[in-house]
Amino acid sequence: MATPAPKPASTPAPGARVTEIEIGALSKTFGRGAQAFRALSDVSVSINRGEFFTLLGPSGCGKTTLLRLIAGFEQPSGGTLRIGGREVAGLGPNQRPVNTVFQNYALFPHMSVAENIGFGLRMQRRPAAERRETVDRMLRLVRMEAMADRRPTQISGGQQQRVALARALAPQPRVLLLDEPLSALDLKLRKEMQSELKRLQLETGITFVFVTHDQEEALTMSDRVAVMSEGRILQTGTPEEIYNRPADRFVADFIGDTNFLDAVVQDITATHAVVRLPGGARLAANLPAGGGTAAGATVTVVIRPEHARLVGDSADGPADEGAVLSGQVERSVFFGTDTHVHLRLSDGTPFVVRRQNTAAATPPPEIGREVSVALAGGAVQVLRN
Amino acid sequence: MAIKQTSAATPAAVPERHGHKWLLSAPALIILILAASGPLLIVLVYSFLTPGNFGGVVWRFSTEAWFRVFFSRDIFDPEVVSLNHAHLAIFWRSVSLALQTTVICAILGFPTAWFIATRPQHTRAFWLFLITIPFWTNLLIRTFAIQEVIRNQGLINTTLMRLGLTDAPIQMMYTDFAILVGMAYVFLPLMVLPLYAAMDKLDIRLIEAGYDLYASRWQVLRRIVLPLVKPGFVAGSILVFIPSIGAFVTPRVLGGGRNMMLGNLIELQFGQGRNWPLGAALAMTMLVLVVGALIFYIRYVGRTEDAGREHG
Repeated sequence: MATPAPKPASTPAPGARVTEIEIGALSKTFGRGAQAFRALSDVSVSINRGEFFTLLGPSGCGKTTLLRLIAGFEQPSGGTLRIGGREVAGLGPNQRPVNTVFQNYALFPHMSVAENIGFGLRMQRRPAAERRETVDRMLRLVRMEAMADRRPTQISGGQQQRVALARALAPQPRVLLLDEPLSALDLKLRKEMQSELKRLQLETGITFVFVTHDQEEALTMSDRVAVMSEGRILQTGTPEEIYNRPADRFVADFIGDTNFLDAVVQDITATHAVVRLPGGARLAANLPAGGGTAAGATVTVVIRPEHARLVGDSADGPADEGAVLSGQVERSVFFGTDTHVHLRLSDGTPFVVRRQNTAAATPPPEIGREVSVALAGGAVQVLRN
Repeated sequence: MAIKQTSAATPAAVPERHGHKWLLSAPALIILILAASGPLLIVLVYSFLTPGNFGGVVWRFSTEAWFRVFFSRDIFDPEVVSLNHAHLAIFWRSVSLALQTTVICAILGFPTAWFIATRPQHTRAFWLFLITIPFWTNLLIRTFAIQEVIRNQGLINTTLMRLGLTDAPIQMMYTDFAILVGMAYVFLPLMVLPLYAAMDKLDIRLIEAGYDLYASRWQVLRRIVLPLVKPGFVAGSILVFIPSIGAFVTPRVLGGGRNMMLGNLIELQFGQGRNWPLGAALAMTMLVLVVGALIFYIRYVGRTEDAGREHG
């Protein structure tokens, strides 16, 4: 098993990206005949070396199936899967330079923490001295030196999590797969482990493929995110791209709070369009990658609540300009750092404006008031139909 | 703290209920005392008495029966004493056959239990049900059925001869082989059931984790599956070994008169031998053998287990 030791802190510069995992038209069907279930359909994606790549989606979207295909626990029904340039279809999990952190850790209960961490090295028949040295280094890396002789049942959930990480990192895989590793932890521990994971990824320089259904986790930790639904990847991009430029209704709805409006395309270029909003205002809007719409078509556009502000609301900047929508205040919900003002637009569509709370604590507009809404530049995103 | 509060909330009711719980075990206790401890005491007392002429015992204290368990006297000169080789051979055969049966059951039982444990959840009850079917028929009838298969004019030999593979029947009846086949068949479910119970609890992700960490199939079996299902092996081995060492019907029917086991030797003393004290002493010897083997086994096999439990 030739697994070259990844060089720490050698994350390649953005210009010099090397592809680590190349997935082409991968599909997976479970069962056959009438009971066949297509868990993955024609998934194509390439993951760069040293990248923190997240597969995000609701349960049953195929993200875990994709992870298990990369790990080798399942074999694909079709398509190609290359790791480090080598086709791995047909190879078992013990023949792939890939290690997994399991959802419930799957630590060996009959072995000590140190034995768990050293298991992979032992199976690879590395010399005893090297094994001891690596296990010690891994224990230090995850700050578990004091627990080396404990059994997995004698340590806490967060500690088990760290041991599972160390065990998977010890053989120095090219790729580390993480299957919802934080879902069993409570909120505070989860936050701690998020930064811990990020630190480990930067320190080791190993490619991380992370599976989660938690959009916040995906946005805060990842270099890139692939949003999945019903066995397909709907959109791949940086967290900013996914959040600000959702290509798809599902993506927009799944990540963050969003306003959906119907609009008519008036004019169109390669990347932008001019659309007419319900109130009659004409605005420049971003087109999704691949375009796919034409002048005169009715499309759905999304506007994030924090990209909108109430005109004349002193807390939200200039009072005069850019009113494009108008509606009536239905209710306000206080969230601490901000307040969500729920409006009903003149055509009946609901619309939410997020209003930053300041020390001045200006009260939100009272219910029933007629207000106008202005939008930040580039706030309007056209969705794929 | 929470525990203290709840117990303080119902201070009177709890101790009172606890006080009568032992009554639930009374029926089992009564049966144990009447059917196990009582007869055992009688057997112990009989082993120190003198045999009656037509069976039974004469109430006169004697250690002769215990002496005869291990030694025999010369027919012409009772003062000439030698080891009772016939008895020692039977002890050895019993222990050896019981051990072999246990090993055969373990080897056959492991894949069987694994097969059941890896079936879809809703079909497992069916497979377990199949395992228990042999219990429905009388042991003697099942043993005679095996005889029909392996005797000289039985199923195997007639088939082999008709196919021209052998000229003369292969002698299988009245051999240790026949006894082993019979005992392995009878006691196999006692190995499969505890093994299945242990495998049922085995988390399949531990096996995946093993493969993920570069273990081969053999290494996954040896380093992960076997250590984790060991409690099933221990329970199954005890359940098979104990009845094997005292097996009576199987060696009698399949082993014939020459391949006696301890159970047959004891039966002989109470029957044709008309030496009840010797039978009683032999029965006590077997009890000591079984208990000794058990203690040795649990200590030896339990050792590695203890190392694991020391912390937990």
